Amino acid sequence: MAGFFATYGNLIVLMVLGAMLGLSLYLPLMTGQLSLASPGFYALGGYIAAILSTKVFITNSSLFPIPLLLLEMLIAGAVCGLLGILVGIPALRLRGIYLAIATIAFVEVLRVISLNLDITGGAVGIFGIPQPFQTAIEYLWIAVPLLIISMFFLYRLERIRVGRAFAAIREDELAADAMGINPTYYKVLAFTLGAILAGIVGAISAHFLNTWNARQGTFDASIIYLTFVLIGGSKTFLGPVLGGMVFTALPEMLRAIADPEITGLQLPTAIAQFLQDGRLIIFGLLIVIGTIFFPQGLVTPDLFKRRRVRNNK
Amino acid sequence: MTPQTTNNLAFNASPILEAKYLTRSFGGLVAVNKVSFVVNNNEIFGLIGPNGAGKTTLFNLITGLIQPSSGQLIYKGDKIIKLRPHQIAAKGIARTFQNIRLFGELSALENVIIGRHIHIKSGVFNGVLNIPPAPIEELKTKHKALELLDLVGLSDRAFEKAQNLSYGDQRRLEIARALALEPQIILLDEPAAGMNPNEKQYLSTFIRQICTQFNLTIILIEHHVPLVMGLCDRIAVLNFGKLIALGNPAEVRSDPAVIEAYLGAE
Repeated sequence: MAGFFATYGNLIVLMVLGAMLGLSLYLPLMTGQLSLASPGFYALGGYIAAILSTKVFITNSSLFPIPLLLLEMLIAGAVCGLLGILVGIPALRLRGIYLAIATIAFVEVLRVISLNLDITGGAVGIFGIPQPFQTAIEYLWIAVPLLIISMFFLYRLERIRVGRAFAAIREDELAADAMGINPTYYKVLAFTLGAILAGIVGAISAHFLNTWNARQGTFDASIIYLTFVLIGGSKTFLGPVLGGMVFTALPEMLRAIADPEITGLQLPTAIAQFLQDGRLIIFGLLIVIGTIFFPQGLVTPDLFKRRRVRNNK
Repeated sequence: MTPQTTNNLAFNASPILEAKYLTRSFGGLVAVNKVSFVVNNNEIFGLIGPNGAGKTTLFNLITGLIQPSSGQLIYKGDKIIKLRPHQIAAKGIARTFQNIRLFGELSALENVIIGRHIHIKSGVFNGVLNIPPAPIEELKTKHKALELLDLVGLSDRAFEKAQNLSYGDQRRLEIARALALEPQIILLDEPAAGMNPNEKQYLSTFIRQICTQFNLTIILIEHHVPLVMGLCDRIAVLNFGKLIALGNPAEVRSDPAVIEAYLGAE
């Protein structure tokens, strides 16, 4: 078991973080808003944690104190939340593909700013971010509770007034408005909640990856998170959780398949190369195929419906 | 104003909604042209007119979906133009749509529960952690929504997706959803469209029933003339955006301008 965790510890933590990033994109999607801003807030949260831990919270102990890590997560969440409100109010006047484009632009603006500021380390980024844990797998002590809290939050959210307002806006914004639901308020709320979550995950990731730079928040990342949600399922929070986990693990699995030492298969070099490096192409293909054959994603509310109907009777 | 003659109005003819020179133009087309009328509390007010007369535009103006070019709307003494639709809904004006606009992916019950939005107070924090008053509110809301579904005869379809309901059921669900707001005024945009004569008869009785039971004011657009004549206390007739007649059914029926609009001039 220890050997398994030593080998796959890294990947397991990344899968849990991936699930939460999927959720951060799912939140605005609950109101029907396709926002690709998550990587921007993720990068910002990471920079906040990186700067705070390397320049502000300097400690002599060999391990970075957990309370300070939690404080960083709190600050990252708060800053991203505020920025989420500021960006959300004007951006959410746009809809559909226009909002997607505007949020991609937002991610790019943040990326270019971080490339050019001294405090973010320019193109090199920030190195030697202190570690709060001895081994990678121990990050699960932070990541798993956070994932459970996020999932509980969304589970409850889908069953209360606010979540129903989100669903109503997703289904028919005009009708929701006529039913007394303020669409702007709830769209900005959903967008901000997603921003907070992405920021918090960024703060953990910065420590976890030990280094942080402008490559963390890119358009590529937007597409990858979008895959988490679209293929996982965009109608229940379990979709992005499953999608985030599977699609974080997928490149590693492809790499393993391509490795003759693991599978014992000697694949042609071209295919092995493609499996190893063609991650974005494969994700792109999966989005296309997935939206044709599973327009609602793999996990849909109907999967649970039979049980729910029985419970209600 | 023409003198009120119907029985229902003899007792309480207090105005609840007033339109003053309400005008809305789309480019060169004046869809609603200086329309003025008063709707009284607890009356059933019909709005008829040929296609394109501006009836739905008038509804959209009243519910804030579009803004008037000029004119004023007064609801219970307050000016309501420039308010957003959700603010107008919160003040007590609910509506249904000509081309049904339910939340299709959600169940019938959820649709009605969403109509209760403005009556639930708990926010994200209380709701997620299920801290009082959230649990009791949720129970009450569900109970109330089931009552309304029962009222429109949809209690056995409560867990059906709204988009899977039959056309007539969807129309009734929209009324239940609007009633869930506990409005003072309810605007019904062609509630009988696509219904057979039996259903129309039932609907007519039903509208009269909710009007009395909930002390509602109902403004209704309908093409089916016998239904309007039988149901409404007063009727306004629009043609090319202009109000051409206003009065009780008998007056409107014999009004030469109305006959001309519907049958053409002699």
